[in-house]
Amino acid sequence: MIEFQNVSKVYSNGTQALKNISIKVDDGEFVFIVGQSGAGKSTFLKLITCEERPTDGEIVVGEQRLSELKRAEVPYLRRMMGMVFQDFRLINKMTVFENVAFAMHVVGASSREIRRRVPYILSLVNLQDKAQCHPRELSGGEQQRVGLARALVNNPKLLIADEPTGNVDPALSFEIVDLLNQINKRGTTILMVTHEHSLVKHFQRRVVEINSGAVVSDSCNWEARDD
Amino acid sequence: MIKSFRYLLREGIKNIWSNRTMSLASVGVLVSCLLLTGAAVLFSMNISAAMKTVEGTNSVRVYMQQGLPVLSSVKAGEEIKKLDNIASCKFVPKDRAIENVMGMLGEKDANLLAGMTGKDNPLPDAYQVSFRDLSKYKDTVSKILKITGVGSVNDYSDIAAKLTKLDHMVTTGGFWVILLLSLVSLFIISNTIRATMFSRRLEINIMKSVGATNWFVRVPFIVEGVVIGLISGVLSSLLLQLLYGRLVGTLTSITLFSPIPMGGIAVPLTAAFLAAGSLFGAVGGMISIGKYLKKEGGDIVDW
Repeated sequence: MIEFQNVSKVYSNGTQALKNISIKVDDGEFVFIVGQSGAGKSTFLKLITCEERPTDGEIVVGEQRLSELKRAEVPYLRRMMGMVFQDFRLINKMTVFENVAFAMHVVGASSREIRRRVPYILSLVNLQDKAQCHPRELSGGEQQRVGLARALVNNPKLLIADEPTGNVDPALSFEIVDLLNQINKRGTTILMVTHEHSLVKHFQRRVVEINSGAVVSDSCNWEARDD
Repeated sequence: MIKSFRYLLREGIKNIWSNRTMSLASVGVLVSCLLLTGAAVLFSMNISAAMKTVEGTNSVRVYMQQGLPVLSSVKAGEEIKKLDNIASCKFVPKDRAIENVMGMLGEKDANLLAGMTGKDNPLPDAYQVSFRDLSKYKDTVSKILKITGVGSVNDYSDIAAKLTKLDHMVTTGGFWVILLLSLVSLFIISNTIRATMFSRRLEINIMKSVGATNWFVRVPFIVEGVVIGLISGVLSSLLLQLLYGRLVGTLTSITLFSPIPMGGIAVPLTAAFLAAGSLFGAVGGMISIGKYLKKEGGDIVDW
């Protein structure tokens, strides 16, 4: 699904964000990305979503070599991904239903498809009763589930979640990751950046640790270090 | 595509409402710009019409010198008839001229001139002369002036020249004023749309993250501009018709000049206003969103 081949990224101000990274994520995998702030996790995500281009190396997403991808083709690459953000990024003046439907409008879905698909996705994240609520009326956990529904509604092959539990009650964090786990079981590849070691330990999945722009560990039996 | 377009159209119109103060300002500026343009065009059209009327009267009045004996006037008339390019030459004796003036003044005021008939008539004898070929107008007039006994010719070419000069002045002055106002309108419209854009940053951001093309992001803002333009077009057309109608009414009642009626030009005027308004709006919208997408990078997800 994702392959980094000797990828380096140096920003125009001279900061070296990633140093010669090579990593492969297979279809259907669930990968936690961990590391301190400024380690290069955001750059890693930006390179996958084509928000930034690598200085060196090649990235392949799906079948697509990103170096061959023209700027106008970026939107179509993104349609195979779903993105979940730490700050939810919901539109407050829209209802839960509209927030999810919005992502379908963008890719040109018909009203009929939207009316059929959105309730289904909302039931998947257990929010079918809140469809007409506005984001402000929901708890952090519920808001993030709306964000998750929006990311899933266009049926992406890859789901990228950046600290999805960062603004959610610790008790509800497990619920969110559990949902991601279920989605993963249906075949969606999941990439989740997190700081929460308890979650990583609990779910026992592949863990890639990035530090100072390099992959320092990549294993399924990850133990948090004291630093 | 059509489904998306309907959605985008609705979004564009929503933008206007959610940003109504700035939208209103845009409409105001665009209306003043269109009104001024329309006024300048109407003025120019009227001057052209007036010039045609002047040119169309291919006859001049040739006045004899004051107090010239009738016999000499008749002799001068014969000379005029001998010139080539004269189609007709009709004698207007001064007695009839004063009667005409009295007729125009009406019964009450005509009494004022009662003592000016006969011997005391201050008007000179005259000839109503019409030409065959208008291009030789100046030449013929100067020949008539050389004939003994001819005092003056009321020459319309002078009025025509003055009208042309005025038309040029209005056209040039109007051009610069309209150009300046156009720039101001574009500036205001693009700023209005930029304001909506900033209030919808999050939406644009989400759109980009779920794979919206740049066109999909652009369309609502262009729609916003076009709708502002269309509203301004309709408003200015209505206002101009109302104001012009009033002006025509007043002018016709106080002067002999009859301005061209609105009826015939209302439709093309409205069409031109709508076209100009929507063009301005679209360009304004494109400028602002183009700048935004370029500056912020069209592909921002902002992790």
